[in-house]
Amino acid sequence: MVRDYNNRHALEQKLRSAPVAPAADHLMVGHWRTMALVLARADREEAVRRAIASQPDLSMRFAAPGEWLVVSEVEAPSGLVRRLEELCDGGAYVVDQSDGRVVFRITGPNVRSILAKGIGLDLHPATFTLGGSANVLCGHVPVNLARTDEDTFELIVPRSYAESLFDDLMRMGLAFDLTAAFSD
Amino acid sequence: MASLITCPHCGVRPKEEFAIRGDASRGRPEPMDSDEAWHDYVYVRANPRGRTQEHWHHVAGCRRFLVVERDTATHEVYSVVDAAEFALRATR
Amino acid sequence: MTGYRLSSGGLVDRSKTLSFTFDGRPLRGFAGDTLASALLANDQLLVGRSFKYHRPRGIVSAGPSEPNALVTIGSGARSDANTKATVAELYGGLTAKSQNRWPSLGFDVGAVNGALSPFLGAGFYYKTFMWPKQFWERVYEPFIRRAAGLGRAVLERDPESYEKSWAFCDLLVVGAGPAGLMAALTAGRAGLRVIVADEDFRLGGSLLSTSETIDGVPASVFADRAVAELQALPNVTLLSRTTVFGWYDDNVFGAVERVQKHVAEPSSKLVSERVWRIVAKRALLATGAEERPLVFGGNDRPGVMMAGAMTTYAERYGVSAGKQVAIFTSGSAGYRTARALAAKGVTIAAIVDARAEAVDQAPDGVRVIRSASVVDTKGRQRLKGIVIERSGFEELIACDALGMSGGFSPVVHLACQRGAKPVWSEELKAFIAPDVGGGLRPVGSANGVHTLSGCLSDGVDKAAKIAADLGFRAASDSAPVVDREETSSFTALWYVPGAKSKAFVDFQNDVHAKDLGLALREGFGHVEHAKRYTTNGMATDQGKLSNINAVGILAGMRGVSPADVGTTTFRPFYTPVSFGALAGTARDEHAAPARKSPLHGWAMKNGATFVEAGLWHRSAWFPRAGEKTWRDSVDREVLNVRANVGLCDVSTLGKIEVFGPDAAEFLNRLYCNPMLKLPVGKARYGLMLREDGFVFDDGTVSRLDEAHFFVTTTTAMAGPVMAHMEYCAQALWPALEVRFTSSTDQWAQMAIAGPKARAVLQQIVDGDISDGAFPFLSVRKIVLKSGVSARLFRISFSGELAFELAVPAGYGEAVADQIMEAGRPHDICAYGVEALNVLRLEKGLLTHAEFDGRVTPDDAGLGRMLSMQKTDFIGKRLSTRYGLTAADRMQLVGLKPVDADKDMRAGAHILKEGTKPSTLNDQGWVSSAGFSPVLGHAIALAFLKSGRERYGEKVVVFDKLRDQEIVAEVCDPVFVDPQNAKLKA
Repeated sequence: MVRDYNNRHALEQKLRSAPVAPAADHLMVGHWRTMALVLARADREEAVRRAIASQPDLSMRFAAPGEWLVVSEVEAPSGLVRRLEELCDGGAYVVDQSDGRVVFRITGPNVRSILAKGIGLDLHPATFTLGGSANVLCGHVPVNLARTDEDTFELIVPRSYAESLFDDLMRMGLAFDLTAAFSD
Repeated sequence: MASLITCPHCGVRPKEEFAIRGDASRGRPEPMDSDEAWHDYVYVRANPRGRTQEHWHHVAGCRRFLVVERDTATHEVYSVVDAAEFALRATR
Repeated sequence: MTGYRLSSGGLVDRSKTLSFTFDGRPLRGFAGDTLASALLANDQLLVGRSFKYHRPRGIVSAGPSEPNALVTIGSGARSDANTKATVAELYGGLTAKSQNRWPSLGFDVGAVNGALSPFLGAGFYYKTFMWPKQFWERVYEPFIRRAAGLGRAVLERDPESYEKSWAFCDLLVVGAGPAGLMAALTAGRAGLRVIVADEDFRLGGSLLSTSETIDGVPASVFADRAVAELQALPNVTLLSRTTVFGWYDDNVFGAVERVQKHVAEPSSKLVSERVWRIVAKRALLATGAEERPLVFGGNDRPGVMMAGAMTTYAERYGVSAGKQVAIFTSGSAGYRTARALAAKGVTIAAIVDARAEAVDQAPDGVRVIRSASVVDTKGRQRLKGIVIERSGFEELIACDALGMSGGFSPVVHLACQRGAKPVWSEELKAFIAPDVGGGLRPVGSANGVHTLSGCLSDGVDKAAKIAADLGFRAASDSAPVVDREETSSFTALWYVPGAKSKAFVDFQNDVHAKDLGLALREGFGHVEHAKRYTTNGMATDQGKLSNINAVGILAGMRGVSPADVGTTTFRPFYTPVSFGALAGTARDEHAAPARKSPLHGWAMKNGATFVEAGLWHRSAWFPRAGEKTWRDSVDREVLNVRANVGLCDVSTLGKIEVFGPDAAEFLNRLYCNPMLKLPVGKARYGLMLREDGFVFDDGTVSRLDEAHFFVTTTTAMAGPVMAHMEYCAQALWPALEVRFTSSTDQWAQMAIAGPKARAVLQQIVDGDISDGAFPFLSVRKIVLKSGVSARLFRISFSGELAFELAVPAGYGEAVADQIMEAGRPHDICAYGVEALNVLRLEKGLLTHAEFDGRVTPDDAGLGRMLSMQKTDFIGKRLSTRYGLTAADRMQLVGLKPVDADKDMRAGAHILKEGTKPSTLNDQGWVSSAGFSPVLGHAIALAFLKSGRERYGEKVVVFDKLRDQEIVAEVCDPVFVDPQNAKLKA
């Protein structure tokens, strides 16, 4: 997806240095990622959920009953909003959050130990299953957490908190030599 | 106070994710209800030992208000339900 | 006593010598030593001075119950005071210092307190230092603190780092002794997620200090094998050096792991300590049992220690506490120590047994004296002999160490931390864990089991039961077989009669048996009273050794059972935890997250000085070359906005998107002014009240669509307003169909204000934004010439012609750059929140300095906004109360100094001229004040009694904090452009 280079990433200052070789435990920051919050109307929750779930390229993250953060790696923000509105067929309100949130993807063998330093959720794969997602607190920062693979999690954080969360995650990963870089 | 609250939407969560608003047992009076009813609603709070119903806001989770029924002495939590459901049930 | 290293044996690594110092004296120990075992091996017996009498004290225990051997380890900012030498792991380069002595450990001036001891009984401080009252702070307390100090806290900044971590498990095993290890093995093999926490640096507990063998191998080898198997299980986590300090609601445990307290040079990548919050479905308390000291005359002399500790030093560390060791016991444990030491070639001077009969076997040739007691000890800073008494005859027995054993108490602290009290067991002569449900069960000797085989099988059984409860299948393994099992029994002996000198109950706090008698005589016989009166159990060891004897002695004196005396209250923490560990990472700049605006980079480029506003870092002003003070910059920014144009970052305002067929009705109920008929494309100033009728927050409401509103809040109240709206929608009016979400972070929002704002903005905006096409309070979704989608608002917080432009956050900086570029010919400037504040002050616009929670809309001059025609809105009903509508309420006014040079500050009070400052004469207060560069003098907003009727009156602005009194004239709160001609240009 092409986006205007004039769109500045929240971590542009923090992650400006030359990319490092990723260690076993690595933090990737999604440079451009499109997402929108879908607020289903009363009694339309199930229909909306099904409509979006039917789209293999859209990832749904649970935010609240009848509310999902829908993430796309291919759509542009306005395209995603339009597509979701059509998909939901008047059953939901769609709010673009592509600029309001920052996506962190953390992967590696020690990722559960790293996240346990901030997140009070049992991340055992039997409890927090693949594809699972939840709004949680990471330290002091509210994030949406999703398990996208056995040892891979995505944290979606409000943009204004992104630098703080980044600093926190790097500190949590210090003992495991966690590295970080933009992913694209 | 409980260390963990089972949110009906999010599952078991640490209490740090919640903010307690207070007594959930009394409904908001109607506009024309008596001065006493309004005064009680806004200002008067019991501080019971034992069972209470409180509004807990799942601030760092689903952002739903929940009604937590718990015991202030033993800290046992009896039930947690969504506040909207609770309010609709009360009006029914 | 003459401590020395035995020629062989022990679990220390004799090939690894470690150098360390104690009070500057260089000493050596081995890897695997504790500081205490290494000190004993070096015959360093005297390790501290007692709290009150400054008596010489030696090592008493071999674990966390140690009352005497408290030392400061490390130096400078890294030093840790009050560290128990008995649990401090020895490392090369360790430096330890003794405490509570001056000038030196051997010669301590404070020991004169010992000579004065007849006057320093329990309650002495309370009685003596009662009066005169002012003496307490100035004279007594500093003196007592200096005399009775423990280690000193370090004033330097702590260089260590700390963290917290969550952990979840099916089973938490607290303690890795025989019962704990067997429980962990049983549960781990069955597939449960198990966490084993043990405070020692080596797992095994009592298995490491017994000569017994299990399944044909030494117990320590059995322990090592068990640990190795557990380590290999992926579902088991072993936490050594980890003390479980608290048991909290919902079976959540607090534990502290000493990650690198045992290294000379800590790695910067690792924390010093880590606090675990462990959520356990089930937990087993395998914390073992504590041996009881005996309360006899002179029992605090260095060289007197717990018999079990002697065994541990010999078996685990290869250290003997003395060359001629006597034992004083009321049970079989004393014999066990005698056998262990004798087997290692140590001479046993005698076994003094308080019991008349016993079946326990003494080592060959050792003299056993039954029905006897120790009544005194000899020696000064080390033990030289004991005086025993039997049938009225005294005898002096030479010895250099005395092991004492008064039976055992299960360690049940954790089980009692949530309100339940321990229960007295007449059978076990001990307080045992209360039944606190299935979540936490004691096991092994913590459960009153006395034998090793019993502990092993109790571990297996309890874990198997838990496995079954949780739906796992535990293999039906039988417990390992113990060969040469040691028997165990004792008679409780709370106090040894006939003491010839002080018989201490609490070593650390210098409480002796007579103090408890005094407490009882003076009416403080209740266990909680006796504790406070005598300070028994109040020291850093929290009475781990002393409490049980104190209870027994009180029971004896009152002629009741210990069950009737009961225990004091158990609370977290089991052992002291450092503040650093409890704070974790939440300190300095990490104490709270910092929120950064999408225009932060733009502000930095433009040289902003930032100010913290809640979590946000906001641009406060933009200094330029030649400007000496912040006022220079702010005045310039204000004048430039009034004359030309300025750009201000307002992204931090709370922004909420509200949708739904009932959105208008919902907002109409939330705000005190009408919102129902707000036209699409229009914005309106809105005021929210609290239910009690006072102002809650203000902001704007814009209608973007029939069923889509955009609400802004103040920066400070963004969170509370969102929560309030959620409460109203969910708990009050769930039937309304409305949905909303925060879009604060999605938008970069900038105010472009000043007479030239339109000229600048028109260059980047497509479409007509003239006053005719886009009048005041218009709202429109637009596309910038650069192609960026945006929202444009014609609103003003400065009284100038102004727009607020919102663009997706990522584009904020580029768009702001573009506006600055387009504004250059128009002399645009960046302005910060300080100038913003002056601009609004000049216009009498309000912030939370005015809306402080005591102000009604009418107080603020906004009474006309209240729409009493509406059936209902939050705060409506209580707004009509008499108190909120009275004519003499404080009302918003402006103030200007009569003498233009004078300055006013927020917080000052207002008085009538000629009246004395008093609460009665108080006429109001100044809520905001500042210098108006437009008017050239200070201006202020204030709340003044019936203020709106008093324009033109001269009042005194009284500021006691700054000792300022000036005369000011009451005026209309709008200082600049009262006709709003500029606003609507």
